[in-house]
Amino acid sequence: MRLKPRPTPEPRRTNIVPSRTPTAAILLEAVIVMAVAVGFAFAVNEMSPRGLKLGRNYFPSVASATNLPPKVLPTDENPPAVPEEKSETAEIDQRIKSKGLQPIDRAEVEHLFHDPRYQQGLVVFIDARDEDHYAEGHIPGAFELDRYHPEKDLAADLVPCQNAEQVVVYCTGGDCEDAEFTALMLRDAGVSNKNLSVYGGGFDEWSASHLPLEQGARNSGLAPVKGQ
Amino acid sequence: MNNADGKAIDFATVAGRWFLGAFFVYSGLEKGLDPASFLKLVRQYDLTQTSFLLNSIAGTLPWFEVFCGALLLAGVAVRGAALTVAGILIPFTAVVWHRALVLQGAHGIPFCAVKFDCGCGMGEEFICHKLLENAGLILLALWMLAGRGRSFSLRFSLFAHPGGTT
Repeated sequence: MRLKPRPTPEPRRTNIVPSRTPTAAILLEAVIVMAVAVGFAFAVNEMSPRGLKLGRNYFPSVASATNLPPKVLPTDENPPAVPEEKSETAEIDQRIKSKGLQPIDRAEVEHLFHDPRYQQGLVVFIDARDEDHYAEGHIPGAFELDRYHPEKDLAADLVPCQNAEQVVVYCTGGDCEDAEFTALMLRDAGVSNKNLSVYGGGFDEWSASHLPLEQGARNSGLAPVKGQ
Repeated sequence: MNNADGKAIDFATVAGRWFLGAFFVYSGLEKGLDPASFLKLVRQYDLTQTSFLLNSIAGTLPWFEVFCGALLLAGVAVRGAALTVAGILIPFTAVVWHRALVLQGAHGIPFCAVKFDCGCGMGEEFICHKLLENAGLILLALWMLAGRGRSFSLRFSLFAHPGGTT
């Protein structure tokens, strides 16, 4: 009897891509990881309530931060012409002016805060920091307006801003440019440029001066003044 | 190399993988949960004037890092993830170095005295410390490519290799 030759069993396939070298497999694996990671990253950014709107220009400035002359620290060869604090203030004021906005100093802001027009809504303060910082403490009566998520507050804040004789916008102060960009956003939304001022010293200077603060929601009452 | 040495290296590699993964998950979350702050830091590098690109980098890079970090922690596609992580770290380190040189020039201070928030999720750091840290992370990521330490991994490789395991 002639036996039928037994078919040779196929070798066990432990390898999906048998001809691929380990290096090629690692590269292919990296490409797959990157592709999935990119998809994941875009999806999370899109779904996150804090995500960025990719098509929005968050820095619609005339001059970008990097276009400004670099800050030079005073050295023995290059002594400061004016006291450092004043020179920093002047630098911030210059930055604000370069965007076509008016700077306002702490004394003026304090004066406006005590001005009866503030209670009448003719002077409006806008806090351009994020929700968490606003809740931790802000100038009493200031409206919250996070420019990265303007859909939350812009519509509600716009009416008092348009009705006010003076709108003061502030953020943290110093290097923070959010107040300037928020002022530009308000200007684009219809608030008159002559009514807009940017407080360059910002919240840091205000709170360091032991001036009144409010925590939580707007008009929720004065918080104990720090350092007193 | 005896068996004990081999096991020690494998164990160290697993520990290194977990460290690298945890580092990327942590630093990614730090940035990803506050993308507006990260956007401002990325803008400092002046990488692009196109707002879409700038927003894309700031909005997605943190989650990209979290994803790669999670793969390393779970032990999935380990070498692909490690190569990707090294691919992020190397250009990023170069960009941070360049920024430090600019700041050094502007401030007239020694290179190692330059301190700034590089957007790495760890706040302000001295540049020399940051560069050493990144060099360590790059070496660790490259070490993962050797394929050691396959324990505690869900799927070490997406593809099996002759003589290898999945």
